[in-house]
Amino acid sequence: MATEALALDGIDALYGDSHVLHSVTFSLQEGHVLALLGRNGAGKTTCMNAIIGFLPARKGEIRVFGERVGRLSPEAIARKGVGLVPQGRRVFPTLTVKENLIVAARGKNQLDHVFELFPRLKERTEQHAGSLSGGEQQMLAIGRALMGNPRVLLMDEPSEGLAPLIVAEVGRTIARLKAEGQSIVLVEQNVKLAFDLADEVAILNTGRVAFAGPASAARDNESLITQHLGVF
Amino acid sequence: MTILGLPSELWFEAVMFGILLGCFYAAVSIGLSVSFGLLDVPNVAHPAVMIVGSYCTWALWDRGLDPIVAGVLLMPLFFVVGVLLYRFYHASFEKRGTEAGVRGLAFFFGVAFIIEVGLILIFGVDQRSVQAEYIGSSLELGEYRFPYRMLVAFGVALVLTFALTLYLSKTFTGRAIKAVAQDEAALRLMGANPVRIKQWAFGIATGVSALAGAMLIIVGPVEPAMDRVYIGRTFCVVVLAGLGSMTGTLAAGLILGIAESIVLMHPDLGASWAPAVAFSLLLIVLSVRPQGLFGR
Repeated sequence: MATEALALDGIDALYGDSHVLHSVTFSLQEGHVLALLGRNGAGKTTCMNAIIGFLPARKGEIRVFGERVGRLSPEAIARKGVGLVPQGRRVFPTLTVKENLIVAARGKNQLDHVFELFPRLKERTEQHAGSLSGGEQQMLAIGRALMGNPRVLLMDEPSEGLAPLIVAEVGRTIARLKAEGQSIVLVEQNVKLAFDLADEVAILNTGRVAFAGPASAARDNESLITQHLGVF
Repeated sequence: MTILGLPSELWFEAVMFGILLGCFYAAVSIGLSVSFGLLDVPNVAHPAVMIVGSYCTWALWDRGLDPIVAGVLLMPLFFVVGVLLYRFYHASFEKRGTEAGVRGLAFFFGVAFIIEVGLILIFGVDQRSVQAEYIGSSLELGEYRFPYRMLVAFGVALVLTFALTLYLSKTFTGRAIKAVAQDEAALRLMGANPVRIKQWAFGIATGVSALAGAMLIIVGPVEPAMDRVYIGRTFCVVVLAGLGSMTGTLAAGLILGIAESIVLMHPDLGASWAPAVAFSLLLIVLSVRPQGLFGR
């Protein structure tokens, strides 16, 4: 049986008094891509914040390769091998491309690997990250997360605000990381991109899991998609 | 011939002295450039800590040490004090969110006053000064004289700026300090503890204050309440520089130094107007270029 890389088990989370995640449960197998889908405000980014520890879960359990991480700080969870490519990229603007990568280095040196994945970054090592295009910043954000040798990679809307050509490139990169055996949770609004890459799908609606299962089952279930994603 | 009311033969002298004075201002501001500019800690006690550095330098000089050597020896001790001060500030104020910022400011004002009163209790209100070969004599070039004490401050300022710029851009911790200034949450995603990085940086800022304090007492006599005039000057330099830029701090120090020196030598203005220069510059910069000259 495949190893469970990441599991959320009955997660409840609150922003102040407002209850935003209700008993969220899903799991990711090692080497798989799980797409976390849902409309705006469904709770996808909140889920990411709960996993990485910015918004500690009020109830339930989060496990990374079987180890409970629910009570840890974000930096401790990151050291357990959870890498997050945050929404909006959040690169360090006045650091150069290389500095952005080196500051994130942990464990085995991944610099050559990152430059091989993104040759564009290698051409711009000494450029300040703030002066990169949106697509290049996204590549840098992904590269920066990879520098920490994550066992589980969380990607929060990597295609957001990018031109279609760049979205396709980001998609190819994710496919390649998957082929290399990387376990990935992909949060996406771009449903087509998500279905192309995902092995499993979890669909959130107003903070509850509306569907969790194989991507193939969700892809062909038109009523599910219309009801919870409202696209296609 | 006069330009802007200042005789032309005085202009050269005013600018040269301004450069020396400006480098000195950069040296006394560079610690604040790290603590306020990079870490957003409203450390108004920075000049007061520097005065403590001056008095410690005086105490060591009194026991036979050279003032510059004393300043360097004090740096590790001040580093530790800075780490402890930051830990206390973080636990009591910073951790409780942004609205604690104003209370943090009050905290550092309190620290400054406690230091001032403490110095008065220990050393009295009299001025203190140190003696060394390079204090009191001047380098004479033709008809111009450059006091060696100012040249020493000039040299130390350049070394400090260069060393800190190098440290921030070339070392792992230095880059992490710059990163924590820009996006603390993103740095946590990389597994780094921002509090530990900030306390290290605050330690460095405080350590540098020891050497800056030594410069202060080399340049002129100090007294316990002297930190008050330097609050305006140091904050002016750091904001003018653009928060957190080390080379910007040097440039801003030079601008303030030259402007003050011109005002000092101006027949219609003179020394009583000099303290107004820092705040006037600050107001102009904030209205024209709020991110400072080298702003991030």
